[in-house]
Amino acid sequence: MRCDIAVVGSGLAALVATRTLQRAGRDPVLIWPGLSSLYFLYATVDVLGYANVTTAQPVEQPVTGVRQLIADHPDHPYARAGLAALQDGSSLLLEWLREAGFNWQGTLAHNLLLPTATGTPKPSCLVPTSMVAGDLQRDEPIVFCGFDGYQDFIPELAASNLSRAWNGGRRTVTAVRVPLPGIKPDRLFTSIDLARSFEDATFRRDVAGRLRRAVRDDGARLGMPAVLGLTHDTDVHAEFEKESGHPVFEIPTLPPSVLGLRLFDRLRRHIQETGVEMIWAAPAHQAEVANGRCLRIHLKSAGREQPVEARAFILALEDAVDGAWRAGVQTVRDPFFHRVLAHHANPTERTDESLFQPQPFAAIGYPVSDRLQPIDEDGRPLASNVFVAGGAIAGYDPTGIKARGGMAIATGYRAAQEAMAA
Amino acid sequence: MPDTSTGVVVIGGGSTGAGVLRDLALRGIDAILVEKGDLASGTTGRSHGLLHSGGRYCVNDLAAAIECVEEGRILRRIAKTTVEDTGGYFVSVSQEDEAWEPRFVDGCKTAGITCERISVEEARRREPALSTQVRTVFWVPEDGHLDPFYLVIGNVESARRRGAQVRTYTEVTGFVKNGNRVAGVISRDTVTGEETTIGCQAVINATGAWAGFVARLLDVEVKVVPVKGVMVVLSRRLAHAAINRCHKPGDGDIVVPGLSVAILGTTAVKVAHPEVLPIESDEVRLLIEEGAKMLDGVTTARAMRAYAGVRPLYDLGAQAEGREMSRNFAVIDHEERDGIAGFASIVGGKVTTYRLMAERVTDLVARRLGVTTTSTTAEVPLNDREDEMDQLRHRPAQLGVPKPHGEELALQPLLCECELVRPQDVEPWVTDPAVRTLEDLRRRTRAGMGPCQAAVCSYRLAGRLVTDRGVDGRTATRAMADFLETRWRGVRHVFWGSQLRQAQVTAGLHLELFNVDRQLQFEGDDPRRAGLFTVPAEVEAVGQP
Amino acid sequence: MIRDELETLSDTVEEEHSVEACTKCTACNTVCPVARSTEVFRGPKFLGPESERYRDPHETSVTAGLDLCSGCKLCEVTCPSQVSIQEYIRRAQNKGAQENGRTLRDWVLGHTRLLSRFGSLTAPLANFGNRNPLFRLLMERFVGIHRRRPLPKYQWLTFEGWFKRRPRRNAPTRRTVAYFYGCWVDFNERRLGQQVVAVLERNGIEVIVPRQQCCGIPAVVNSNTDLARRYGVENVRRLSALPAGVDIIASSTSCGLMLKHDYAHLLDIPGAESVGSRVYDICEYLWMLHEAGELKLDFQPVDTRVLYHAPCHLKSHGIGYPAMRLLRLIPGVRVEEVDEGCCGISGTFGVKVEKYDLSMKIGSRLFEAVKAAGSDSVLADCETCRMQVEHGAGSRSAHPIDILARAYGYR
Repeated sequence: MRCDIAVVGSGLAALVATRTLQRAGRDPVLIWPGLSSLYFLYATVDVLGYANVTTAQPVEQPVTGVRQLIADHPDHPYARAGLAALQDGSSLLLEWLREAGFNWQGTLAHNLLLPTATGTPKPSCLVPTSMVAGDLQRDEPIVFCGFDGYQDFIPELAASNLSRAWNGGRRTVTAVRVPLPGIKPDRLFTSIDLARSFEDATFRRDVAGRLRRAVRDDGARLGMPAVLGLTHDTDVHAEFEKESGHPVFEIPTLPPSVLGLRLFDRLRRHIQETGVEMIWAAPAHQAEVANGRCLRIHLKSAGREQPVEARAFILALEDAVDGAWRAGVQTVRDPFFHRVLAHHANPTERTDESLFQPQPFAAIGYPVSDRLQPIDEDGRPLASNVFVAGGAIAGYDPTGIKARGGMAIATGYRAAQEAMAA
Repeated sequence: MPDTSTGVVVIGGGSTGAGVLRDLALRGIDAILVEKGDLASGTTGRSHGLLHSGGRYCVNDLAAAIECVEEGRILRRIAKTTVEDTGGYFVSVSQEDEAWEPRFVDGCKTAGITCERISVEEARRREPALSTQVRTVFWVPEDGHLDPFYLVIGNVESARRRGAQVRTYTEVTGFVKNGNRVAGVISRDTVTGEETTIGCQAVINATGAWAGFVARLLDVEVKVVPVKGVMVVLSRRLAHAAINRCHKPGDGDIVVPGLSVAILGTTAVKVAHPEVLPIESDEVRLLIEEGAKMLDGVTTARAMRAYAGVRPLYDLGAQAEGREMSRNFAVIDHEERDGIAGFASIVGGKVTTYRLMAERVTDLVARRLGVTTTSTTAEVPLNDREDEMDQLRHRPAQLGVPKPHGEELALQPLLCECELVRPQDVEPWVTDPAVRTLEDLRRRTRAGMGPCQAAVCSYRLAGRLVTDRGVDGRTATRAMADFLETRWRGVRHVFWGSQLRQAQVTAGLHLELFNVDRQLQFEGDDPRRAGLFTVPAEVEAVGQP
Repeated sequence: MIRDELETLSDTVEEEHSVEACTKCTACNTVCPVARSTEVFRGPKFLGPESERYRDPHETSVTAGLDLCSGCKLCEVTCPSQVSIQEYIRRAQNKGAQENGRTLRDWVLGHTRLLSRFGSLTAPLANFGNRNPLFRLLMERFVGIHRRRPLPKYQWLTFEGWFKRRPRRNAPTRRTVAYFYGCWVDFNERRLGQQVVAVLERNGIEVIVPRQQCCGIPAVVNSNTDLARRYGVENVRRLSALPAGVDIIASSTSCGLMLKHDYAHLLDIPGAESVGSRVYDICEYLWMLHEAGELKLDFQPVDTRVLYHAPCHLKSHGIGYPAMRLLRLIPGVRVEEVDEGCCGISGTFGVKVEKYDLSMKIGSRLFEAVKAAGSDSVLADCETCRMQVEHGAGSRSAHPIDILARAYGYR
C-alpha cells in the first residue's frame, strides 16, 4: 500500500510523531506489531528525574536539566532531538491529551516527587491529575491504602519505606488495608478487574466509606493503587475523592498498568477517530533503498509480506521489546537495513553485574545523524527519508535518569518534523 | 557447658546430610543438622536433576552404575513425590557413538539396567523433537527426573516430624574435644554472628565438596576435589524423557526435562574452591551446541539462565582427573583412620545415591553409639502428603477451573504466575525462621524460577515479608532486590533473544516504575551484595491508624 | 548450531511466534473480550504461554477453561512478543477432544458446511424450524445451541449453483481471480457473492469459482483441528492447481485468515504457504487495484451514513482497514468507524447455550454505540459480526461490498 508517511511503532514516540504529522496536515499511517511498553510500564511522562545515573538528587526543573544534559552530552538522544522538540512535543502532547478527554497536568519547568509502589520518591513531570495529590513537596500526611487479597500494591511496604525517605523521616506515613465489597481475598482479581469495579458508583461509595472509617487523620491524603476506573477515570477519581473526604492519588502497580492502558487506549482511539489509519499486527522489516532513499518497507502480514510505500518513514520501535532489533547469541542485527548493530563475543558483556546499574545493552541501537536518520560507520545516512525515534536509537538509556517519556516525545516530535521535510 | 545437647550433629544440608538426618531420626537417634547456607544451596540444589538409571556409568564405572540401578528403584518407591518418572533415551549421533553402542549394551546388561533398542521412527513418534542427526536410540526406562529441592526438604521435614532439628545459616567454626573424642560442635549464625555450642556424641561430616574444610577444623585431611559443572536452563521442556548421548561420558551430553523446563548439562572443570564457580561463555555455547545435536529446538529455545554446581569428587589417591574419578562414595571412619572418635565423613557420590550414602555412614555411627536399629529409609516412604511433583504437573488443570467460592465460582489467585505458585503455597514458608532470603523461599516453592525470573513475584513476595512476617520496608525491599540480583546472575550468561527482552521489562518495572535503584542508593547498601534478612530487633512501626 | 554467520537466533519463524517469547506483560489478558466480561476465565496468558510449559504430548491434555476462549485472536494481535497464543489453545483443545471424545455439538458446529448444505436443501423447512420455539428448545436441549440465538436463513439456491448456471461472459479481462466464497455466501447470503462477482467483473476481472470445501474454522474452534486439516488439505490441493497469476479472493475475514495464515501455521498443511501468499481479502484486493490504477472510479453517489465495525480477525490480517479506504472513495458515503472491540459472537462461540449471555455481554458496548449513532447500517467484513450486530443492536448490517456494488449501479 501507499501512504504519505509511515510511522512504525506503538509507543509514545510513535504516537507523538503521528500526532505531530496529523496536526501539520499530513496523512500518517501508524503501523504496529503489537503493544509496546507504553501499555504496561508507563504511568507518567518522565522528562528528567536525575541529572545522571549516580546522583541521588532529583532534578527540580526538567527543562533546565535537559538543557544542561544537552550541553554536557552532545551525542545524547536529547541533544540530537533538540530542546525545542522536547518543548514543542510536550505542548503537543498535553494539548492532545486534553482533546482526547484526559486530565493531565504538569510543565517542563517543574518535577513533582511522587511515591512509587515501593514507597520510593520518584521525580515525574507530566502526570495524570489522579496522581497529583501524591506530590511529596506537599506537607499533608499520607496514608497508603491497600485491599485484602490484592497483591499488586502493598501499602505497608510503601509506608515503611516512604516514612524513612520522605523529608528525612519527618513526615507521617501510615498504611491501612480494607476488604473489598463482594470480593473475597482468596479469589483471583486483577488490577483491571478492580478498575472496572471502581466504575460502579455503589462499589466506589462502599470502598470510600470503608476508607473513611479506617483513616483517622482528617488532613491526610490517600495513596491508592492505580485502579480508579478504566475508561471513565477522570470522573471516578473526582467522585472518589469527594466520597472519601480526602485528597486521593493513584500509584502505578505491577503490570498490567491501568494507567498505561488508559493512555494507550484513549490515544489510539482518538487518533483513529480523527482519521489516522492504524495497521494492527504488522511487524515491519526490510527497507528497500534505492538512490539513497527508502522506497518501501515490508510488513509481515498474514500470508504475505505487504510492501508499504511512503514519502518518509519513522521507525519508532522500542529496543528489543517490539522489534527494532533482534539479539542473537553474539550478534545484534537490525531487521530493516540488515546491519550488524553490535557484536559481543560473550553475551555477558551486554550486562552489568548488577541489575540496578546502567546496562550496556541499553546502548544498542541505530546510530543516528543530527536529523535522526540512521547512519553507517562513516556517518552517512542509510536513507534520506528514514528517521528513528524512541528506544531504537543507539545510546538511548532513559532508565537511570528517569527520562523515558521525555526522550520519546522529543525524538518522536523531531523525527516527525524531519520526515515532513524529507 | 554446651548451649544444647543432642545425639548426633550432622553437618551439611544437601541431599546426603538430609538423608542422614532422616535415617538417624527413623532410628530414634536425636540429631541436629547444621548448614552454613540454606538447605540444598550447595551441590544438591545445583545438580542436573537426573535420576540416573546408571546407563551413563555402566561401561566405565560398573559399581557406580549398579548403585544407581538399585537406588533408583528404591527412590521410585519411597520418594516418588520427588521423582518424575520420565524414562530416558541414549542416542547416537555419530560414528564414534555407534562404536560405543555394543559396550553400552553390554554394560547395561551387566549392571542390570533395562535397555531396549527402538527404531528411530518409533523414537521420534514418542519424542518429536529428536534431531535428524540421531542414528540409534536406546530406551532406558529407569532414567528420570529427581527434584533436588523437594528431595532435601522432604527428607528434612520427615526428620523434623520425628523430632530432629535443623539450623540453617549456621556455620561450624570448631569442635569441642574431650581428649581424642569429639564432644561438641561450635557454630556461628552467619547472619547475627551469634556463637553456639552443641554438645553431642558424634558428628557426621556430610558437607560434600566442603568436607575438607570441616575436617581441617580437626586437623584431619579429607581430600575432596571440587569439579565445576555448568548448566543451562531452557524455559520449556523440549522432550518428555531425559536424552543422553550414547558415548563415553563427556561435556554437554545430557538434556534433562523436568516440570516446566529442560536443563542442558554439563561440563567438568576442576576448580580451586567450591564457591568460586565461574561460568564461561564457551561452556554455555558448548552446552547448547551439544544439546542441539540430540534435540531440535535447542538453539531456538529460550534460554532462561545458566548456573554452575560443583561435584565433590573424592580423591582416592589416583591420578584420575575430573570426570574420570569415581563417582562412588566413601565413608571415612576417622576413629580408625585418624584416631579421632565421634567423627565420620561421607564423601563423593551423587544425588541419586544419597540414601545409600546416608545409610552407610549412619550405620557406622549408630554402631558406635550402641544403637542396633537398622536403616528403614529404603522402606518408609518419604512423604505422607500429596504427591508434590504430580500436583505441580497438574496445577494448570486445577487452575483453569473456577471453584465454588461462597455462592459463586471464582478462580484461585497466583503469586508466581510463571511457576503457578499460589499464595497458600508460599504462606507456610514466609514465616518459617529457617527462611532467611527470598532464594530460600524460591527453593521451597519454586517462586521466581520461571521465565520472568522473579520480575513480578519478587514484589509480591516482598509484600508478604512485610504483611506476614512483620519485616520492615527497607529489609523487604532489599530482600526483593537481592532476589532479583541473584536471578540476574544466571540470566546474564544467556543474555540474548527473549531473555534479553524480558530483562528490559524487568528493569523497566523495577528501576523506572518503582525506582528501586534509587531506593537502594538511599538506603546506602551496596546493591550487589546478595544478603540476608532478619527480623530486626526493633520492628519499625509501620503504624495502623 | 550457533555460528557467527547464523542469523540471529531470533530470526527463525519459530522464535518469532514462539510461546517462549512471552515476557509476562499481561497485555493479552487486558484486551481479551472474554476476560473482561467474566470472572471465571483465566485469560490467554494462562491458557497460552503459562500452561504450554506444562503441556506434554505424553500426558492428558489440560483443557480446563479452554472452551471459554472465543478465538477472536485479539491477544495475538496485541502481544508485543507476537506469541501465537491461539494456536497453542486450539492444539490443546484438539488433543483434549481426541482423548475425551467430542460432543454432538462439537460435531454439529464443526461440520458447518455439511449442515448448511442440509439446511439449504430443506430450506423452507429448515428456516421454519430455526424460528420455531419448540424446535429451538429441542435444539438447545440436545445440541446445546441457545434458543434465542437467531440462526441464519438458508437459501435453496446456493451461490455455487447460481454461479454455475450463469451465462459465460465474453468481455476481455486483465486479470483472473478465484473466489473462495465460503459456506456463508454459498448457503446463506448468495447476494453478497453476487455483489463480489459483479464488482470484480465491473473492473475487468474474470472470476472463477473453484470447487471448495469449508475453510475449516468452525472445526478449529470446536476442538477439531484434525477435521479442519482435512478440509484444508483439500482446499490447498484445489487452490494450488490454479494457474499461476490467479489470485484468490475471500469475502469473509475468517475464511481469508484461515487460508492466508492458519493452514500453514496452525494446521501445518504442505503447500499452504504458497497458497496463502496468493490470498486477498476482497477489499484488500480492490484497494490494490486502486493503487495500480485499475479500479474504476465512476461511482454513482450513495447517500448513506454508515458505521464500520472492523472484525477481530481482520486485525490479524495485518492489512489495516482497506474497506474504510475504499468507502471514502465513494461520493455521498459518510463512514465512521465504531471502535468498541469484539462484537461478542466470535463465530460459533456465541451460539452456544452456555456462552450466549456472555457473548451478548461482550458485545454490549458495541450495541450501545451503534444504537446511539443512529446510522443507516453497520458494515462489517465478517458474517457472524453482521449477525451479531443485527441481533444485538437491531441495526441493519452489510458487507462493505454492498456499498460498492450499489455505487457501481448493481441492482
